Amino acid sequence: MRRPYLGDIGRRLGVIAAVAVLAASATACDSSGASPVVDPNDPNTLTVLAGSEVKDIVPMLDDLRAATGVTLSLSYSGTLEGAERIDGGEQVDVAWFSLGNYLKLLPNAGKRVVASNKIMLSPVVIGVKQSVATRLDWAGRPDVTWKDVQTASASGSFKFAMTNPASSNTGLSALIGVATALSGSSDAIDTGKIDTAALKDFFKGQVLTAGSSGFLADDYVRQQANIDGIVNYESVLMSLNAGSQLTEKLSLVYPKEGILTADYPLMLLNSAKQPAYQKVVGWLLDPKQQRRIMTDTNRRPAIPGVALDPKFPTTTLVSLPFPSRLDTINSLLTTYLDQVRRPASAIFVLDLSGSMNGDRLDNLKHALTQLTGLDTSVTGQFSRFRAREDVTFITFSTDVNDVRTFTIDDTNPNGPDMSAIRQYIDGLDAGGSTAIYSALDRAYSVVGTSVSNDPNRLYSIVLMTDGESNTGDSYGNLQSKYQSLPANVQAVHVYPILFGEGAVSDMKSIATLTGGTVFDAKTTSLDQIFKQIRGYQ
Amino acid sequence: MALAPRRVAAVALAVILIIGVGIGIATSIHVGSSGASPTPTMALSGLIGSEKLPFFQDQRVIDALARGGFVVNVRTAGSRQIAQSDLSKLDFAFPAGVPAAQKIKNDHPGSTIYQPFYTPMVIASWKPIVNLLLGAGVAHQRGGYIGLDMDAFIKLIGKGTRWSDLSGNTDYQVNKSVLITSTDPRTSNSAAMYLSLASYVANGDNIVQSDPDVNTVMPVVSPLFLKQGFVENSTEVPFDDYLVQGMGKSPMVMIYESQYITRAASKDGSITANMQLMYPEPTIFSKHSLVALDDNAKLLGEFLSSDPGIRQLETEFGFRTSDTASFKKFVSDNALPVPDSIVSVIDPPTYETLEKMITRLEQLYTNG
Repeated sequence: MRRPYLGDIGRRLGVIAAVAVLAASATACDSSGASPVVDPNDPNTLTVLAGSEVKDIVPMLDDLRAATGVTLSLSYSGTLEGAERIDGGEQVDVAWFSLGNYLKLLPNAGKRVVASNKIMLSPVVIGVKQSVATRLDWAGRPDVTWKDVQTASASGSFKFAMTNPASSNTGLSALIGVATALSGSSDAIDTGKIDTAALKDFFKGQVLTAGSSGFLADDYVRQQANIDGIVNYESVLMSLNAGSQLTEKLSLVYPKEGILTADYPLMLLNSAKQPAYQKVVGWLLDPKQQRRIMTDTNRRPAIPGVALDPKFPTTTLVSLPFPSRLDTINSLLTTYLDQVRRPASAIFVLDLSGSMNGDRLDNLKHALTQLTGLDTSVTGQFSRFRAREDVTFITFSTDVNDVRTFTIDDTNPNGPDMSAIRQYIDGLDAGGSTAIYSALDRAYSVVGTSVSNDPNRLYSIVLMTDGESNTGDSYGNLQSKYQSLPANVQAVHVYPILFGEGAVSDMKSIATLTGGTVFDAKTTSLDQIFKQIRGYQ
Repeated sequence: MALAPRRVAAVALAVILIIGVGIGIATSIHVGSSGASPTPTMALSGLIGSEKLPFFQDQRVIDALARGGFVVNVRTAGSRQIAQSDLSKLDFAFPAGVPAAQKIKNDHPGSTIYQPFYTPMVIASWKPIVNLLLGAGVAHQRGGYIGLDMDAFIKLIGKGTRWSDLSGNTDYQVNKSVLITSTDPRTSNSAAMYLSLASYVANGDNIVQSDPDVNTVMPVVSPLFLKQGFVENSTEVPFDDYLVQGMGKSPMVMIYESQYITRAASKDGSITANMQLMYPEPTIFSKHSLVALDDNAKLLGEFLSSDPGIRQLETEFGFRTSDTASFKKFVSDNALPVPDSIVSVIDPPTYETLEKMITRLEQLYTNG
């Protein structure tokens, strides 16, 4: 059956698709509270492209509407992806990300910002298990430095979680902070001052990555027995400490050289909506709402005169500068991905059953081929296969058809490594039934072997299927096999992609079992979904 | 409360703000029906620096203008952009600095410049920082206010001094370079004022005039901006950061004196005991210069310069006017830490020279 390429049509029509990550866990839940029918020409409706971090403001939006008559219609994306979409001319009234600097540095996006008001503040800091803080002699010390963290990380005595800086603002803020502090001065960093060796030391300890701060926090909770700390917003860490999910509370470390603070600027792009925008800003920056934000979300107020709740430390927070040049940030990201972070082993489990024939297989091939360096957009640059990465394709239909691994040494899109991947993808054919659980079983046995050979890589499994399993292992088989795996293999998540007739409940079960999350390619193009998933690899 | 509630900062380009129309018309009907004003209403449109938006948005200002027969619609832009804009459909331009105004006047024969109010550039800082600078001999107690010796200070920055290098520093042991936070010199007038001031000092206390002068000063003044990293377009932002995020974010910020005065006089709790102003020595005035492009705008320029009611409002917005007595009274009524008169003041370079320096900075931002 041939079906139109919904995501692509959606984009051509300028429809803003509510992006991606379906809920596999509570805080990653994507129910935005936006009203279902939106008239973008209504002067009292603001369409907002937002970072997923602002979802915790959604409960306030009914009151906002009642007080101002203005409805915010939110859709979500990552910081860089959102900046890129706005730079590309996507029509939206307001952008609301945790940090606006990257967007403002993009040539077109920067010019579209008509007004910008910071709404709330949260510094990006390190949460360290209290026992670990004691062991490392960091407990209660205000003078712990990024350098101290580098030393502990390099020696193997500090293992931490951090998001992918190309996907999420906490990762980007931490990377800029670390790179600035380790460059020797604490002035704005430029490309020439990046100390790659020091960064390698620092990120030896990064054992967990993710494409969003919320997912990272959930994953930390899941794997907290084996991890010492987590880089995230102060607000997220305070919420974790206030909840009941942690076996051990986190000490918040504010490195002495300085930190970057998310300031959540509400950026007006459509000047025709200025009156509604002003009402929204006026309401959000009212001291009463600022106090509510402080209470409900653990973020700091963005206006003077609202006293800081005693739950926040009163020490002076030194802030590090954000680079003034886009190419500095881009080269920092490239250095991080190609040289600094633990290399990835990305396993793609691909359904080649008969129903994939036609457009679906073409779309899949296109999305995978784009990752070999053909997509030169901002997000394309950072989602391509990286130097040192192992990319494994496990194809299946009635049974597992093939397992092929490519190692990337040469990242040149026209070089031999990327060409070999393209050639392989080009040769894929579809036919037969759908043995999803047998294929996943194989994926975990491949991962098991790799993990015991090389435990210092970041492993992930992507499952791409358009249907329900109708042969081979059952979900029950997978479940019992998964539960008998060693802990370091269980730590590897499956990220299922919802596509075609893929069953939502099956995909969610797999994600929940393995700690992954479902990506929805029914409303967003496969190209876009694969790029987003790369943030989790 | 001297001020309306917190304004919405308009940052950028060509924002049409129809702020006078609805309210202005309503007011003039009211005034007309009461028979108080014989003046027919004139509708004027102008392009202004964003720092004056709160002034033009204030209801008391709208009322005072209506009393004079004016309904004023403004769009905002950076001073540099104002000087380069097509003003043919407008009645006036109102940049915050003389260089831009001069350029506009030269481009529009028959236009007239009015300078109804001005404000000196000052540095918002903190007591521990001021104490360090006093100790380092670059700041000086001047009976009632603190002066910052710009020559000595820029030399200190030029040596790559970090806060942690300053002797006796126990309160602010930060590894960052000693720097003043500014806005973006490519777009914002307050940064252009800082550039004017720094280039004067770097040129041996002479206004930069020639190409050799520009060559001499660029190596000294460019690090003042480039080392800051990302800079904002609008002067409100770094001052708000100073008020909200404190000394760790903003040890020293270049602002308009008027910004500090309005906050302090509003007594909204934003100015705390640990904050302290410094006056650069020499300093430079941001002279808000209305370039009247037609006869109606000339009347507006006159009105803003001489009407006692509007001048009082200008004072309450922290600006200094020719009515020094009322500024003095306002300062003493509100117990503001502000000198009545400022002695050492320099002029900015010409528009063309300033433009040369900004273009050089632009190249450095782009190419490193």
